[in-house]
Amino acid sequence: MPRFESDVCIIGAGISAAMLAEKLAELKPGLQITIVEAGKSLFDFENRMHYRQRYLEYGENPWPDDLIEDQTAKDIISRTMAVGGQALHWGGTTNRFSEEDLRLRSLYGLAVDWPLSYEELERYYCEAERRLGVSGEPSPLAEDKRSEPYPMPAMTLSHNMRQLRAWAEKTGIPFWSTPQAKNTVRYGGRNECLRCNTCAVCPTGARYSPDFTFKQLLAAKKITLHDQTLIRKLVPHDTGSTIVRAEGVNRRQPGQPAEYAARLFVVAAGYVWSSHLLLLSRGSRYPNGLANSSGLVGRYMNGHSFVSAQAEMDAKIYAGMNERHGLISRQYLRCRPDQPYRRHDLRIWESNFGRQPRLRSGDGRLLLGEDLLADWRQRAARGAALLRAYYDVHPARESSLTLDEAARNRWGDPLPKIEHRFDEATQARLGATREQILNIFRLMARANNGKLLETSFSNYLDHPGGGCRMGEDPTSSVCDSWGKTHDHENLYVAGAPTTPTAGCTNGTLTFVALTLRAADRIARQLGSAA
Amino acid sequence: MRTFRRRTAIQSMLAAASAPFQLVRAWAQTATFPGKRASALHDLAAIVLPESLGRKATDAIADRFAKWVQEYKAGAELEPGYGNPRLRFQPSSPAPLYLTQLEALGRLAPGARRSLVEAALAEAKVAELPPVPNGQHVATDLMSFYFFSSAANDLCYRAAVRKYECRGLGGSENPPPRLS
Repeated sequence: MPRFESDVCIIGAGISAAMLAEKLAELKPGLQITIVEAGKSLFDFENRMHYRQRYLEYGENPWPDDLIEDQTAKDIISRTMAVGGQALHWGGTTNRFSEEDLRLRSLYGLAVDWPLSYEELERYYCEAERRLGVSGEPSPLAEDKRSEPYPMPAMTLSHNMRQLRAWAEKTGIPFWSTPQAKNTVRYGGRNECLRCNTCAVCPTGARYSPDFTFKQLLAAKKITLHDQTLIRKLVPHDTGSTIVRAEGVNRRQPGQPAEYAARLFVVAAGYVWSSHLLLLSRGSRYPNGLANSSGLVGRYMNGHSFVSAQAEMDAKIYAGMNERHGLISRQYLRCRPDQPYRRHDLRIWESNFGRQPRLRSGDGRLLLGEDLLADWRQRAARGAALLRAYYDVHPARESSLTLDEAARNRWGDPLPKIEHRFDEATQARLGATREQILNIFRLMARANNGKLLETSFSNYLDHPGGGCRMGEDPTSSVCDSWGKTHDHENLYVAGAPTTPTAGCTNGTLTFVALTLRAADRIARQLGSAA
Repeated sequence: MRTFRRRTAIQSMLAAASAPFQLVRAWAQTATFPGKRASALHDLAAIVLPESLGRKATDAIADRFAKWVQEYKAGAELEPGYGNPRLRFQPSSPAPLYLTQLEALGRLAPGARRSLVEAALAEAKVAELPPVPNGQHVATDLMSFYFFSSAANDLCYRAAVRKYECRGLGGSENPPPRLS
């Protein structure tokens, strides 16, 4: 069996792995870092304009071969499994959590506090923004104080966004440009945004994507990357608590096992596959899986719910000016402790809802040629906006990822099954939270002769995390605030799985900030071990 | 019962034997689309696309649609979606169906074609324009091909939005230039 040895073995090659490897290589030059990823390396940046075109014209997957057919899970929100992970096709939104997200127990008596201060996390937010390349506009709210400016000027607010901001701010709620990991000027050797309107496959490289970091690290020979290699099990020492190797299979040569030995292992496989691997690594000494003395691996799976609405108003909106950039307000991220707990962000994007070309008129008449165009123009005369609020929901212990013994991959390993559950306090306030958001939407829609056309509630949790939550107490958490598991001194978990709760806005910047903080600790640990 | 089984078996064998030929035929029809039906496709474009574009422009759109058909890849992996992702693949080429539909349209006098398009869409139960042509009917797929394009979006707003072009950020704070 091929055996590969290194100082650090990182399992999974998403955005957390990219940031961790990059920083470790800087902090510890000469460190041998091996990254093992089940999916393929999709490094053909030169083809992305072509893929984009095929996506637009034919609906084809702009990331061909990013899916592994029999490696998926019930209730997963994205199947992507490739070098770069889900951040290959993310929208690049890089909002920060707020201080309240980290102090839910002490401020409100809800869920748990995170085992680190916001002030500490804020330093790493700044670092994450520098490394990813974030363009943003400072929040006008004093509570959103920053210790460093954004690395790049904010994305230009398009004509549409200016119209919609003027409309929305008639409520007295301030809105501003959503920060994004998109270059508004040339940055990090990558181009500036050309407003292609297809950020899920950015053909210019303006939107950060982890494959750029991996390519740079490979070119500088700072990492070894084994793609198409599925790690199936971590193996602990016969008598001690350390992890001695990772066992996997090479997907290019089915049946060919591979073994990875390292001084330290980091599971950076995202919110699904991290818990899954720890549970799969069950054995006689650890019958419930690794790092699981608390019984909480695969528990407290989190994410946030959202309310969406489509609105129309008197405003000249030209559909397609920059559909992937929007406005944000953090006005409702705060909640006074003596008030009912309802926290959410507010978002606005341009919309073409009800403004698409259609085949039949409202009374069922067939529309061809000029008739269709006239009908379309008439409906497009008024502006439209997509409104959304991501709101804070807290997971119950039973919000779980478990091994589904009835669904297995080609190697016979049970696949994960995710079942999100809210805690009682969340369930009790769901109706009131939704009503507050709808009332704000209704208030916004009053301006400019506006109205809400449609409202909807999410049927899945977005920006998910959890499963290996961090904490100070080993009986109520899986790892500490650096991602080091309580049970195994050389086993870390990075990024999304370590979050106890999901906040009420996009999580990726927080996942990266936590990972960069972990890198400092891992480097120290490796240094002292050496 | 036995006779039925034998007949079914013979039919299955014939179908299996002819399958490769059908595949080759479909491939050829896709690669050479629209073949002899070019004028019927042009006539159809003149009916279902805005007349104000002019015949030269509708012919050109029909030709680009033909190229779209020629470059169609049956079996290509489709975008899996977010929130509820699933593996999906591009169905077989719509070219054979399009040719049959164009042949029917081409047999009629120009004045009767619009009625036939309306009848055909009613029969095919096409309720709405798909965002990407979906092989239901050549008329609606041609309309979808055009009306969801950047060019049609510009025509709707009478402005150079250039929705699917990589346009740069400069000037986007202003309304897009008006089209004459």
